[in-house]
Amino acid sequence: MADFKTSPVMYGIAFAIVAFIVAQSLFFIVKSWKHGKQIGIKKETLVSTVTSSILFSIAPAISILATVLALANALGIVVPWIRLTVIGNLAYETVAAESTLGILGGSLSKEITDPTQFSTVAWAMTLGSVFPLTFLPLVCRKLQKKIGGAVNKNEKTAMLGDVVSAAAFIGIISAFIARAIAGTSTSDPSTNAGIMSVTVLIVAIVAMLVLSGLCKKFKWTSFEPFAMPISMFIGMAAAIIMNICLPDIAAITWR
Amino acid sequence: MDSKYFDRLHVWGTVWNYAALVMMFTLPVGVSLVFDAWPAAGVIGKILLTLIPLYWITAIVEVVTYVPILGAGGTYLSFVTGNIANLRLPCGLNAMENAKVRANTEEGEVISTISIAVSSITTTVIIAVGVLAFAPILPKITAEGSVFKAAFNNVLPALFGALGAGYFAKHWKLAFAPIIIGVLVLIFAPTTGVGILMFITIVASIVAAVIIYRDLLKETISSVRGSKKESGETAE
Repeated sequence: MADFKTSPVMYGIAFAIVAFIVAQSLFFIVKSWKHGKQIGIKKETLVSTVTSSILFSIAPAISILATVLALANALGIVVPWIRLTVIGNLAYETVAAESTLGILGGSLSKEITDPTQFSTVAWAMTLGSVFPLTFLPLVCRKLQKKIGGAVNKNEKTAMLGDVVSAAAFIGIISAFIARAIAGTSTSDPSTNAGIMSVTVLIVAIVAMLVLSGLCKKFKWTSFEPFAMPISMFIGMAAAIIMNICLPDIAAITWR
Repeated sequence: MDSKYFDRLHVWGTVWNYAALVMMFTLPVGVSLVFDAWPAAGVIGKILLTLIPLYWITAIVEVVTYVPILGAGGTYLSFVTGNIANLRLPCGLNAMENAKVRANTEEGEVISTISIAVSSITTTVIIAVGVLAFAPILPKITAEGSVFKAAFNNVLPALFGALGAGYFAKHWKLAFAPIIIGVLVLIFAPTTGVGILMFITIVASIVAAVIIYRDLLKETISSVRGSKKESGETAE
């Protein structure tokens, strides 16, 4: 029973979930693509949305993969894989698994060898995270109708709608900027705010401003969608360089 | 706006959401059935008492926050595949910004949905391939002493720095209030979850926008009142 966490049945469940996610995403791509063409969105815009979204998702996906491996020590590789493919995020999965194991007298730092502990963790992770799937369909239509209707009433409301949606976007981004400046991680103290996070933030901002400035100046319109993911990689590269060249300064955190 | 398309989108979203709900339960039900290992109801109840207040309230805040920004299709997909704040949301925002479309318009809906669906496939495939093929070497890449560890620890500052630059350059006046308030919240409550923090910074940003653009707000209110009066007179 030692390898029950990575038995063929577990892999079977994982593959079924992966197939479901891919099928759902393809369904929405096909429907949206058709409708996009009907309402006159250019093919180049749709293709550029696809390519920039792929590029954009690579680095965060590798980072998610790393968290799958971090949880694999206690739970085996398959459960973290499934949980981070549907709904999951590291903060939630770690807290759910750790609080369950805490009640059962275990810990995420030790491998689970008891199937009942394993199934209890699986139930807790699932039950804690399913609520949005039941709640969203009940309110989504109403929320969208109210907001969409208000924004598209006339030219003035559309202008105000632009300002409010820009403000909402900036609000979201600000939360993460604030975390890079003063945040504390509950799961990994090495990611607490400090010299490194602020440097990466500034390098990424400067890289993006320079690249988008170059795109405008030299009219590199087809390069424009890639400016953002490339700036993100430049920010990440700055972290590597800083860690190698100035390890003592890079390790300074103020949280 | 083609309301029929939006209606269909909500039907598809609802069906796929509930199907995803069933899929999610294949894991705990499958594990319990195959290993004949059912958890004690009392233990599950105890755990849920800890998790529900924390995560279900955050989920309500997140649904209310994300629908106006990502649109219906993008939100339905995002809540199935997760990793919303750190991946789906910035990906959708970036795609709409590149395509120069606004959220909650038909064009915005199409672009946001395609972007998030593509992002979901990309991450699902990378995670699956990574688990199957690179599991033996990945721990070395992301291990404590690895050269790449620092880069992966700083994905979020890099991602939101790059994403924020474009918005801040355009709307720099709006950026001060939410960042300052976000930092203040984290100084006094360092472990505030990102869902709650985001809600606070969005409110701060919208309040700042209302103050900065108060003239536009006044004009909008009077134009809406004007058009209401006109339609009332026409009806009479």
